[in-house]
Amino acid sequence: MRLHAGICGSFPRPPALRKAFDDLSEDRIGEGEFKRILMECTRDVVRLQEKAGMTILTSGLLLWHDLFRPFTRGLEGLEAGRLIRFFDNNFYYRCPTIIRRIRWRKPITREEVQEAKKSSRELVKAIIPGPFTFLKLSENRFYASEDELLDDLIEALMAEVGALKDSADLIQVDEPSLVDPELGRAERLRGVDIVNEFLSRLGIPSDKVVVATYFNLDPERYATLLDLRAGLHVDLKSTPTEADLALREHVFDGPILSLGIIDSRSIYPEDPREVVYRVKTYMDSISPETLIFSTSSWLDYIPYNEAVRRLDALGRILAEAEVRFI
Amino acid sequence: MSYTLPDKLRTTVVGSYPYFPEAIKAFQLRKRGDRGPEYETLVREATKKAVMDYLDAGIDILADGEQRREDMAVFFAEELGGFEISEPVRIFDNVYFRKPVITGKICWKHEITVEDWRYASSLAAGRPMKVTLTGPYTMFSWSFDKFYGDMRGVILDLAEAYRKEIEVLARAGAIFIQIDEPALSTRAEKRDVLVAGEAFEIMFGGLDNVKRITHICYGRLERLFPEIMDFPIDQYDFETKNRNYELLDLLKEYSFDKELALGVIDVHNSRVETVEEIMNGIARGLELLPPEKLYIKPDCGLKRLKRETALAKLKNMVKAAGRAREELA
Ligand SMILES: [Zn+2]
Repeated sequence: MRLHAGICGSFPRPPALRKAFDDLSEDRIGEGEFKRILMECTRDVVRLQEKAGMTILTSGLLLWHDLFRPFTRGLEGLEAGRLIRFFDNNFYYRCPTIIRRIRWRKPITREEVQEAKKSSRELVKAIIPGPFTFLKLSENRFYASEDELLDDLIEALMAEVGALKDSADLIQVDEPSLVDPELGRAERLRGVDIVNEFLSRLGIPSDKVVVATYFNLDPERYATLLDLRAGLHVDLKSTPTEADLALREHVFDGPILSLGIIDSRSIYPEDPREVVYRVKTYMDSISPETLIFSTSSWLDYIPYNEAVRRLDALGRILAEAEVRFI
Repeated sequence: MSYTLPDKLRTTVVGSYPYFPEAIKAFQLRKRGDRGPEYETLVREATKKAVMDYLDAGIDILADGEQRREDMAVFFAEELGGFEISEPVRIFDNVYFRKPVITGKICWKHEITVEDWRYASSLAAGRPMKVTLTGPYTMFSWSFDKFYGDMRGVILDLAEAYRKEIEVLARAGAIFIQIDEPALSTRAEKRDVLVAGEAFEIMFGGLDNVKRITHICYGRLERLFPEIMDFPIDQYDFETKNRNYELLDLLKEYSFDKELALGVIDVHNSRVETVEEIMNGIARGLELLPPEKLYIKPDCGLKRLKRETALAKLKNMVKAAGRAREELA
């Protein structure tokens, strides 16, 4: 079993970038200067991850206002609509509103992934919103049938993944809706089918793709996720008791398991030893080729300075695991 | 000056009122750490205007409009012991807010709301002035915890701190004391509701010289039943208009017979409700409770509305309550 550590998705924007966003919107700086600051901050965030001992890095998704925004802007046929609460967080996304046929035109996130790849020797993970969650959290004002919509959406997301193939070592497909407690079992099963269809059309080996779910894990939902033909990321912190049961009750035999064992919505200090001890107790029911220690979800829910501490804890967890797992 | 409250369908407000420019200026000073005489004058000016509007509308039981509080959690975190304030956390796009951070044992250090209550009362033309406190469960939910690692510990210590504040308020003569718990209806599970109940016991237990109120709104109020009915609370202040009074059916099911502050004004909608519309809402409330137990008020605080809209809504509300009283006479 190979051990890795890496954050699930985004990193909070560094203060300089927060300011640059405001400066750009108030015309105090131009696009060029903004881009320069963005890339500099991306490199900083990549180095922070590397320095803390992460072995799988992300670009930090510093430009992403939410899970969908680069795509609502970058894909044809979509616009950013009203603000909607993102699950039970005090965080809001702009509803992707489908107003015309969805088409992929040019790479959307490749540049930041390339920047991350250039800035480090570690593995780089690229992230895209998955088709099921995209479907569930968007508003369709164009397509007469959901199948047509899905077909075009999957086509567009496939094109984006195609553009990332050379720079990303791992593709993460974010599908939090797969564990949304508001959805019934039938809908969840359909979600798994949709994601599997997407995965099979992607044609990437299953050890290069991770489907990420976060919040609300429980045994029933986890069991459904086990049918996904890819690696899996699960959140063990949002519903700790239920998630714990889930991991013990069901056997995971996929290639990659990413465990969200650092709470990305809390800043309460984690004890690396305790975390590693707990993960070790799962070993009867999990045996992935690759085990990733990760944050439970994206890190937008905590301040930048606290996220830096979270990284550090994750690094210490990996170091501890490397000793304890031998 | 004295004022005799009507014996039925008393009107009140939840607390907050749109911020006056003086309040906004005061927030800026406070952010810079300046709480000198200029700051105090600005807060008082804003408070006076809010109270005057409430009086102008004809509200029976007033509030100070919370003109000192830019954020209902951060305000108390800045006054209680055990808290710091976080670096910015993103809420959407490039918009951020700061959250309280619990970094030590939570305790009551000094009077927080008493002086504001005294001042607002002095402007109230003899009408009772309500005090609002952001409740322990909401403070916990809207804060980061770096110290306790245990929800119950945080909430009970907060409740102890508030008990001290409530005792001071009661000694000063405040009658209407309201604990705001908007977070309780968002993701509270049963165990959370029970802890909130313990907190209410600490804050309000054995107090018989005050009207013990809680305001809870939006989310899933139904999840709080039936446990919440056993809390030591005299008056439940709920949001009902926004969900077309559906909550009343639930209250009926549980034979609710305490006092109910009925939300008859939608605070998320700038349309001013007509008097008839509000009277219909009141009639719905009267199907459940006698008019002596029914208080008439907006769903929630008014701070997100334009001042003109808020005032117009309140005026119609008072008119509607008056007419409903006449019809009952
Ligand atoms: Zn409210």
